Amino acid sequence: MRRPTRIEAVNIGASVIRATVLALACALVLVPLVFMLGASLMPAMDIMKMPYRWIPETWKPANFLRALAGNDGAWMYLRNILNSVIVSSSIAVSTVLLSSLVGYGLAKFHFRGRNIVFMAIMATMMIPFETVMIPLYLIIVKAGMQNTYAGLIVPFLMNAFGVFIMRQYLITFPSEMLDAARIDGCSEPRIFRDIVFRNSGPAAATLAVLAFRQQWDNLLWPLLVSQKEEMKTIPAYIVKFAAEKHADEGAMMAVAVIASLPVFVLFFSLSKYFLGGSAVYQAGKE
Amino acid sequence: MKPRESVGRLERSRSKWGWAFVAPGLVFFSVFSFYPMINAIWTSFFNKRLLSLKAPAFIGLQNYVRVLGSEDFWNSVRATGTFTIGVFVPLFMLSLLFAALVTSMKRGRRLVQTALYSPAVLSSVVAALIWLLMLDPRGLANQFVNWVAMTPGIDHRWLSDGRMVQISTMIVYVWKYLGYFTILFVTGIGKIPDSVIEAAMIDGAGPIRRFFSITLPLLRPTTVLVSVMIIIQCMKTFSTQYLFTQGGAPLAPVNVITLNIYNTAMRDLNIGKASVMSTLLFLFMLGLTWVQLRISRKNEAEL
Repeated sequence: MRRPTRIEAVNIGASVIRATVLALACALVLVPLVFMLGASLMPAMDIMKMPYRWIPETWKPANFLRALAGNDGAWMYLRNILNSVIVSSSIAVSTVLLSSLVGYGLAKFHFRGRNIVFMAIMATMMIPFETVMIPLYLIIVKAGMQNTYAGLIVPFLMNAFGVFIMRQYLITFPSEMLDAARIDGCSEPRIFRDIVFRNSGPAAATLAVLAFRQQWDNLLWPLLVSQKEEMKTIPAYIVKFAAEKHADEGAMMAVAVIASLPVFVLFFSLSKYFLGGSAVYQAGKE
Repeated sequence: MKPRESVGRLERSRSKWGWAFVAPGLVFFSVFSFYPMINAIWTSFFNKRLLSLKAPAFIGLQNYVRVLGSEDFWNSVRATGTFTIGVFVPLFMLSLLFAALVTSMKRGRRLVQTALYSPAVLSSVVAALIWLLMLDPRGLANQFVNWVAMTPGIDHRWLSDGRMVQISTMIVYVWKYLGYFTILFVTGIGKIPDSVIEAAMIDGAGPIRRFFSITLPLLRPTTVLVSVMIIIQCMKTFSTQYLFTQGGAPLAPVNVITLNIYNTAMRDLNIGKASVMSTLLFLFMLGLTWVQLRISRKNEAEL
């Protein structure tokens, strides 16, 4: 065996430092997640104990029961989880469907004013939701859609970013295939349904994941339109649960774990589309 | 039939279908983006109140004068600005650093990226809730800092001291978005051709020199994108501040602009005043987008 040369020794030193820094960073980043998991199974007393025990000394799975039943025992969390699932998945589906419809129109048809339409839709990306939320709220009130699924869903049926992604994706779609179908006498709606939509899998999946997560995370809008407990979504429930008197810290973390489970399952089974989302975003912006 | 005529007819039918496909988008964005935007600007000139039976009266620029003259508004501008800068600097630098480290790794890249990214999977409210407990006087944050600094028994008042609450909200944000922006940088660095970096290596440039003279300049499109994304995200922050103040933290230091808009509209029921703040926020964001467009154009011209 030969002795490592000086450059090799420096390289080994550098990679040791690099590995240490990254390992430390990962550990620090994961601490709050481990804390959440551990604390969700502890009695409240132990969570605030000094020094903190990472592995529960006494296990208290009843926290999860308390989380679901609520402090008042009304079992509202179950209903609110269901609401989140309904709202987020409807928005994911409609975003994909409508965005690909509009994106297809913009990508594959030449008509006068197409560029203006495209620019106008892109311009809406510059409008922060916080700016339009109050007029939107007043529209929903006027339409009598407060405390309804429609009220929670309708303002997010589609978005400019989705249109943009689908248009970029479909621009590269071979036009010959569409023309061949037209010559075979296929109607335009059928071409869209059977040829275009069938083949937009990866872009559609990325977009669906993005839209689902955005709504799963949405606090501001449900806070505005859902005053009734049974029409709240998970984030609004969490805020209420945490602010209540006598809220048990262990149960709070159980609430948090329950809220995070579906997205983590989604993340680990579809991580390609999660991490792909940022790549798509970047590709689009350049 | 002349061939030319049939082509014209075909074109016309195609263009009709184009409009048909685009129509749902036109309707949707008119109703849910353009109308509310115009409505917000319009309302900012009226003394409109929620739940009031009186018809709102036109009062010109009075709302603007009132908002721009109120200490409360400027406090929100300061809170938002402090938050944005306090998040931007560490978030930008750390994610760039980690991306540089990750891309030079040979094995275990995916594992590190997944670990760093995992907080981004949580919803903002959950992230804030976890930290709310960890920042409790008896909680983990005090224990950890006291252990590192060897100052047993000191309470750092994470959620009760004004300055510390601001820092706490920044920590939550940096923690949550670190992995997300690291991955954006990793993707950006991946796009730099290997040949350029190899050439620099042959010329004898060390890793640090390579990073500052090769990677960083070529990464400019990504750095611009990440900067603008962080700033826009920070200006729109709401959940963390909302949950912390609901949990008992003092409002003023973290009364960011979106929280102020929400409270002005829903608690004080003053829609006119809220619309003024909304309009100002929009104008600011518009300016930011304009700057971004100019920078990215300049980049294209240089490349």
